[in-house]
Amino acid sequence: MSPRPPTLREKRRYILARIEPAGILLEQKDLYYAISDATTSLWGDATTAIITPAVVALEHGYVVVRCRRGTERELAIALSTVTACRDVHICLQIVAASGTIESLRSRFRKKGPHKKEAEPAPAGNGAGEEPVLPECTFAKKTFLIAQCNGQKVDVIEKGFKNTNRLFLTKDDLEDLNATTISDRI
Amino acid sequence: MKITDAAVYPYPLGDASVRRLALQAAALGFDSIVAADAPSGTYAGVEVRSGLMIRDVPIKDVIAAAKRYRDSGRVISVNAANNSFNRAAIGVKGVHIIRGIQNADKLAFDHVAAKMAADNRVAVDIDLSPIIGRSVARQRAIHRYMDIMVLEQRFEFPITLSTHARSLLDMRNVRDVAGLCSLIGMDVPDVQRALAGVGTVLTPVEPSVKVIA
Repeated sequence: MSPRPPTLREKRRYILARIEPAGILLEQKDLYYAISDATTSLWGDATTAIITPAVVALEHGYVVVRCRRGTERELAIALSTVTACRDVHICLQIVAASGTIESLRSRFRKKGPHKKEAEPAPAGNGAGEEPVLPECTFAKKTFLIAQCNGQKVDVIEKGFKNTNRLFLTKDDLEDLNATTISDRI
Repeated sequence: MKITDAAVYPYPLGDASVRRLALQAAALGFDSIVAADAPSGTYAGVEVRSGLMIRDVPIKDVIAAAKRYRDSGRVISVNAANNSFNRAAIGVKGVHIIRGIQNADKLAFDHVAAKMAADNRVAVDIDLSPIIGRSVARQRAIHRYMDIMVLEQRFEFPITLSTHARSLLDMRNVRDVAGLCSLIGMDVPDVQRALAGVGTVLTPVEPSVKVIA
């Protein structure tokens, strides 16, 4: 079977979105299901069939989503309603739309992947042991620093009961009385 | 004109500190945010306004709270209830925003309340969280907001837009907000006006006639 000539192929557009929080690992297939669910829930089966959303790339904390040309607006609105992927709370921030995947790739290569400054400290002998994350104190509780990028610091409470992520800044960690309501920020 | 998210909930109500919410708001294209129970100030170029959310209290408590915090610079908002409560709340001096109209009963905000809101410069808040979420609540919210927009076109009362973000991940950028608002029939000028709604209700009304001597 010979491939269809380019002039007879349906025109497509690609949307680049940044996955937040930075540093979480997602499967391309799971993300496709999350986007497909969001699109179907918002626009219904008929419009989703016209949009034909598809995840074509998932690299360095960015996702490239394909749609039919002319339906970018609908897909963008649907992407803003994606809140979870496999019970992991996420958010997709749209960066750009383009006619080729390559131009979007060059775009996030230029921006660079989500930086992760909080490298885990090497554990005891370095083999077979879990890496030790740096610790910090906030609101009289001890947290593990999961992610650190510029002013932004993502932390997870130490222990096994509460593993929710908290989003802080370096200024928050420097402020000893961060929970008291002061007259300044 | 300041582009404002009219309600966010910092730690401990949410999972992000007020500074981090301000950083995120700056990245998403906002100039200011209204943060519940947080001190006001400026961080990363974003103005943080302190918000007071009054809910589930009788009208006399609303009057008392409005009187107490009227001159404190806080953005005072009241959760909508039935029609008589809403009309009374709109008439209280110092109340800036009526929230949660999508959860109130169908006749809670009628043309009389709309006229009063326009006269007293009290904004009606469009909460985007039910539109971002997925359930029957989304359909009901879209329906109610479309009805609110019909009244807004007629009476021109102020509108505010809020994400009601309890997490950093619940915040949306200005373009997404405009896209979500298009679902309820708001065009770009409407969205721009609504994003500047907090500034509108906080600006004192200038008398149309000025007595010089």
